[in-house]
Amino acid sequence: MYNNVVSGIFNIFIQNNVSCLRFNFRGVGNSTGEHSNGMGELSDVKACIDFLVNEQKCENLLIFGYSYGAAIGCSVVKYSKKIIGYCAISFPWDFMGPDFKDLSQSEKPKLFIQGNRDTLAVYENFENHYNFYLEPKKQRIIDGADHFYSGYEQEVAKEAYEFYRSLID
Amino acid sequence: MRGTEKIFIRNNDIRLEAEFFLGSKENLPTATLVCHPHPQFLGI
Repeated sequence: MYNNVVSGIFNIFIQNNVSCLRFNFRGVGNSTGEHSNGMGELSDVKACIDFLVNEQKCENLLIFGYSYGAAIGCSVVKYSKKIIGYCAISFPWDFMGPDFKDLSQSEKPKLFIQGNRDTLAVYENFENHYNFYLEPKKQRIIDGADHFYSGYEQEVAKEAYEFYRSLID
Repeated sequence: MRGTEKIFIRNNDIRLEAEFFLGSKENLPTATLVCHPHPQFLGI
């Protein structure tokens, strides 16, 4: 359940008393099942959204995803009207293929965070992918960060929290 | 401040390991969902 980027975001919401759920995809950690090339993982995110909406009675929901979690999490943006936007951190467009780029297209607010030394979610291709998306959208380039954001976790978390505040204030 | 709760979320026959923090009433009904990377990808 530990990842430095996810934990940074999860913790900043806890510190600010905002309800937050994080989870492991099927086949990861203590989650049962096996990896299913994205389709099953999309339903995993939907199950988490159902939990927040149906059991916790959440009226507004923001999705934050890092790397593979960005590609899958942001691709269910159309699943519910209660999803009011998403934040994608190092969305691996080139790695994941075009389907997830299309699925994550939305007129809802979007924030894309990207390290300018990332060679996995390739920084040189970022602007091209970013330009595909409809407004409203923002980008934040983390100077010096590669895909793993070691030492930049707090900067990413701060950007994520400010995005949240911008949507609910 | 309340702590986090370790839970499992059902997705048909699959159980997803999750951690949930219930925020303050003032911040409800907004919640955030954070999606992890996948260790089989990108060497994470």
